[in-house]
Amino acid sequence: MTNIIDPIAEIDEARVADQDVVIGKSRIIFRRFMRNRTAVAGLFIFLALFLFSIFGGFLTSWDKDTIDPLNIGMPPSPDHLLGTTQAGIDLLALIVDGTRTSILIGLIVGGLSVLISAVYGCTMAFFGGKVDATMLFILEALIMMPAILVVAVATSGGGGLKDLPSWLLLVVVLLFFSWMGTARLVRSLSMSLMQRDYVKAAKYMGVPSRRIVWRHLVPNIGSLLVLDFTRGITGAILAEVAFSFIGIGIKVPDVSLGVLIGQATGQVSSFPWMFWVPLTVMFLLTGSLAMMNDGLRDAFDPSSSSIGRAKTKTAKKVNK
Amino acid sequence: MLKYLMKRSGIYLIMIFLTTSAGYFLAVSSLKPAVLEQEKIPRPTPEQVAASFRGLGLDPDLNPWERYIQWLGGIVTRWDWGRSPNGAFVNAEFADRVLVSTRLFIASIILTLVIGVALGVYSAARQYKFQDRVITSYSYLVHILPAPIAYFLVQLGAIGINEAVGERIFFVTGISTPGIDPGWPAFVDMVAHYAVPTFAMTIFGWAGYQIAQRQYLLDNVNADFVRTARAKGLTRNQAIRKHALRVSFIPVAQSIAFTIPAIFTGGFFAEAIFAWPGIGLWSIQAISLQDVNVATATLAYGSVIFAIGAILADFATTLVDPRVRVQ
Amino acid sequence: MSTNITPAERLRDAGLYAPGDAVLSVRDLNVRFNSENGVVHAVRGVDFDLMPGKTLGIVGESGSGKSVTSMAIMGLLPETADITGSVRFKGKELLGLSDKAMCKHRGNDIAMVFQDPLSSLTPVYTVGTQIIEALTVHNPTMSKQAKEARAVDLLRMVGIPSPKDRLKAFPHEFSGGMRQRVMIAIAIANDPRVLIADEPTTALDVTIQAQVLEVLHTAQEETGAAVVMITHDLGVVAGMADDIMVMYAGKPVETGTVEDIYYNPRMPYTLGLLGAVPRVDTATKQSLVPIEGTPPNLALPVTGCSFAARCPLVSDACLHGEPELFPVPGVAVPGVEGQALGHKAACIKANELSNDADAHRIFHAPPKPVSKFDGVARVERDKVLELKDVRKHFPLLKGALIKRRIGTVKAVDGLSFDIREGECVSIVGESGCGKTTTLLEIMEFHPDQVGEVIIGGVSNKVATDHKTKMAMRKEMQMVFQDPTGALDPRFTVYEVLAEPLENLGMPKAAIKKRIMELMKLVGLQPDHVNRFPNQFSGGQRQRIGIARALAVNPKLVVLDEPVSALDVSVQAGVINLLDKLRAELGLSYLMVAHDLSVVRHISDRVAVMYLGKIVETGDVDDVFDNPRHPYTRALLSAIPVPDPNLERTRERIILQGDLPSPLDAPKGCNFATRCPVFAALPAAKQEKCLTLEPPLASEKEGAQDFACFFPDGELDADMLVVHA
Repeated sequence: MTNIIDPIAEIDEARVADQDVVIGKSRIIFRRFMRNRTAVAGLFIFLALFLFSIFGGFLTSWDKDTIDPLNIGMPPSPDHLLGTTQAGIDLLALIVDGTRTSILIGLIVGGLSVLISAVYGCTMAFFGGKVDATMLFILEALIMMPAILVVAVATSGGGGLKDLPSWLLLVVVLLFFSWMGTARLVRSLSMSLMQRDYVKAAKYMGVPSRRIVWRHLVPNIGSLLVLDFTRGITGAILAEVAFSFIGIGIKVPDVSLGVLIGQATGQVSSFPWMFWVPLTVMFLLTGSLAMMNDGLRDAFDPSSSSIGRAKTKTAKKVNK
Repeated sequence: MLKYLMKRSGIYLIMIFLTTSAGYFLAVSSLKPAVLEQEKIPRPTPEQVAASFRGLGLDPDLNPWERYIQWLGGIVTRWDWGRSPNGAFVNAEFADRVLVSTRLFIASIILTLVIGVALGVYSAARQYKFQDRVITSYSYLVHILPAPIAYFLVQLGAIGINEAVGERIFFVTGISTPGIDPGWPAFVDMVAHYAVPTFAMTIFGWAGYQIAQRQYLLDNVNADFVRTARAKGLTRNQAIRKHALRVSFIPVAQSIAFTIPAIFTGGFFAEAIFAWPGIGLWSIQAISLQDVNVATATLAYGSVIFAIGAILADFATTLVDPRVRVQ
Repeated sequence: MSTNITPAERLRDAGLYAPGDAVLSVRDLNVRFNSENGVVHAVRGVDFDLMPGKTLGIVGESGSGKSVTSMAIMGLLPETADITGSVRFKGKELLGLSDKAMCKHRGNDIAMVFQDPLSSLTPVYTVGTQIIEALTVHNPTMSKQAKEARAVDLLRMVGIPSPKDRLKAFPHEFSGGMRQRVMIAIAIANDPRVLIADEPTTALDVTIQAQVLEVLHTAQEETGAAVVMITHDLGVVAGMADDIMVMYAGKPVETGTVEDIYYNPRMPYTLGLLGAVPRVDTATKQSLVPIEGTPPNLALPVTGCSFAARCPLVSDACLHGEPELFPVPGVAVPGVEGQALGHKAACIKANELSNDADAHRIFHAPPKPVSKFDGVARVERDKVLELKDVRKHFPLLKGALIKRRIGTVKAVDGLSFDIREGECVSIVGESGCGKTTTLLEIMEFHPDQVGEVIIGGVSNKVATDHKTKMAMRKEMQMVFQDPTGALDPRFTVYEVLAEPLENLGMPKAAIKKRIMELMKLVGLQPDHVNRFPNQFSGGQRQRIGIARALAVNPKLVVLDEPVSALDVSVQAGVINLLDKLRAELGLSYLMVAHDLSVVRHISDRVAVMYLGKIVETGDVDDVFDNPRHPYTRALLSAIPVPDPNLERTRERIILQGDLPSPLDAPKGCNFATRCPVFAALPAAKQEKCLTLEPPLASEKEGAQDFACFFPDGELDADMLVVHA
């Protein structure tokens, strides 16, 4: 069954003649992603929240530091679109701020941890031997550390780390414990890539190691890294919410979704909007990222069923 | 096999030592109990504070390295994990706390694993059917719900049930009612306290196992050896049940080690939300009291739990996979 | 016509089964799959009758529908497959039976042996459990002792030593050949009437293949089952089959007795296939028959002859309507006793193809290319590669979790040979003999290696600086076994070919020019350079791999199993290309191959390796026509030849067991544990083999070197088999 020649591939070949195929790869992935409706919806929700976190302040005339003494603990009203807290602070203003903090934490932790894991994993795979064994030991020891306690110690301490703003402190700690899983994956993937014949071929041609890593390894683990980036953002946002929720993450006066949700738990029955609104925003945020991740995974997966669909569509376009 | 386990245990001991030491340095340099002493009434002089801490082995004037040596010496020579700023011995409370946590974890670890694997098999057998979609979507949903919030929602639900019934069926916090009669009433009380946290930890815990088991089983459903079994005369379902299932459990067994920290973290949140006086709650309280020794002890406990999980995973793997059995 | 109906046929029409009638009868079998690209019509009308105790060979290349046919008969295709037609076992219709109803027949009446023995056994159960399971399913009342006794019998029957102990072994403790024996034991456990073997030896070494074929033969004799043997290898079925069905694009294109097909093919495809296979037993140095093009896409409707696009005899008439199987005149009428199929061919020109049609002329096989070096004596040519006492030893580790060293594997143990300009040297041997390690050692080219590797006059001992290494890399390039894995899927062909040139610092314009030359050189269209590897067929990808190797104008090309991943018809084209390039560019080849027929065809010299040592080396014709070392003799005798008469009568040496663990290698001659000569020697002489290592030397000037004390010794009778 495997050797049946794909007619669509043949049609694709005709298209290849006009030299556009060299950039075709990323275009194919983009197209496949855009064809996944869930993923596109996720992207739009995420972008909307991102814009909201930056420009949402214009939706209300209040800011998060101003108390409205006339509206204390009021449900949503034309004056305060999402109501106010029991201290009389506009919830919308708080949520704009909190969303921004959460997204910021997600992007920084997600991005940097991917970078760290890629460098660490590739280094392990490339050098192998003793270097690999030592680095693997460190990595496993880090996995063994109960991250949550370290977070608690670091953010609650009265000592030297107190100088940093609490969100930045959380970023540092989360970053410290977020990259090991991916680093392991990168390591095993690069190791198997190093065994591929095309890498050997390049080696036997005398292509320098640096160039082999850059031209053959990096593009091939790229999809893993992109996927892990979105997953890392989700993970960091969730961790922030979880930690802040039980009071060991971000500390007031910094505001984040986790802080808002956590603060509201005491009065869910009397001020329900204070709990459900930030929770919904968090869900939209993490949900949209999960939807995007799903679409990206599909777009990158060479064995994905949407390959066929993708090719069929391009083929049809050519036929017209 | 025994030799192998010994070797692994040795490696993990070294790791536990390293993580615990690192934890101690972190705690010692960031937790400053003296700050809290200043809030006491009457306010003690710094000299008084230093003197009392020196008696407890928490001398703030020593540098971290000296304190580390002192602390480590205590553990190595007397198995003494030090004292809290209020003078309590860590060792004294540790055992009780561990017992509470273990009781809370064991039930939900077993339930999580069993239900997760069972649902994974069930959903794989009904791939893309309604049941599969519901179960698998649920598991993905759990992934974007932070554990403490999930537990909190369960707590709200339990309160809702209590209110609806008009009677206190479930206890949403605490471990037991003080002063309850021993025997049957104590048992009912225990169940009423256990039900909610165990339920919460279980229904939000199995998602990982379910997804993994489903995926691995699906990977094996069309394996060559399943085809061989069918060619012998087994029906498709028999072949999958007898042959694919056991093979697909191998990677799940291996993953146990890596879910242990998650369970630990989950238990930590559960204790915080449901106010169970276990290791997790203790550590939070200790950290807010700037208690270096308790924080380090709980951290060491977390590492030990992980190591036990990893060894268990190795053990489970050798049980189900003859290829890694070592004479 | 009606008077010609035999009683058996009348019974069949009435849906009854007559003794002596076909045990398995397939009519108009069609299988369709839904795929992303539409409905693929994988099997298009297969008819055959399998007589009791007879063997039917189904021959075809990948994608011809032969495996799908067998799976359809077994009812093992996914539920989504659409299967129509009729499959009758002893007159009973099997198609349309539920999975449960079909289970009564599977493993009991019809059993199957699959291609890949490594993945076909469940890793977590002992082989005993898996054999007993087959017994339990169909004999629920059988006692535990009886089942165990039967399992031991079965293992003994398939030639597994100490069967009783081995019942408790897990599949991973068995070698591939042993696992395939277990598969056969499972298949014959319930004395099936039909045994389907789907490429049962494709994944195995030749010596093991010979053993397993022998086991299948025994199994058939023991059970009296009819066998359907599915293979792409025309040699494998030549000696075994009574009838042959050649499949192409999901349809039988020629059927007949084995003699009809091999000696009197009437379909151009069959003719081409037979010509495309190199022969191990003859020294004829002519090019192979290449069949250009690729099989049709079965997702599109077939309008004409499915082979038309590749057929050299194609005419307009071939494109209109697909030809049915026509009886070939001049042979017995179908339905005559003992003859199930009658000779039929699906070609409108079948009658015009004469008995002595020459495939080489029909398919325009190119003439055998002549190299400028052919006239120069070997000793006068320069050495392009020389190995002096190269060794590579690995520590042998045991245990998956704990690794402990239990010994040393001498993967390559004191290898010395050289390659002269313009010649092809091949290294042959079973897997594990060290041939691939040898290539890797040569490619590694590092001063720390044990032994000396000299490439183009530069020794690895002095090659410490980057410049010397680069110069060496320019001299020698490599072509890999798997054409797909050797090309980065993210590179276009242009990028693939540009990589070595850029590395040399060639200017852009020159690179472009060179790439166009290379594309033409290997027979690809230059305007395809912007395509990605996955847009090419396997054969084309291998051509790209060859082009890449040639980019820097090397003197020596190392070929690691260059055609083993390719289909027979494609393989011929690549071999012809390699031949041509060697002659035109004056290249030298160092090839590793397990297919001795290919080796014989392409090589000038050959080195036979066994457990890291060369046991015989010399001119290919000397070694193949007059092998001196018993291992070479066994290796050559294991190769099936696509010639039924020869195959049935020839004597073959069946080596016992697998390649031994290097730890068990005796002190003297490595081969003694399996040697057919050694086994027949008197004890006094055996002593010499066990204690002294035979030197690699020749008997007389100009003949091959070999390492054996008793090249003329008698062969042990137990290891000799003749099928009369």
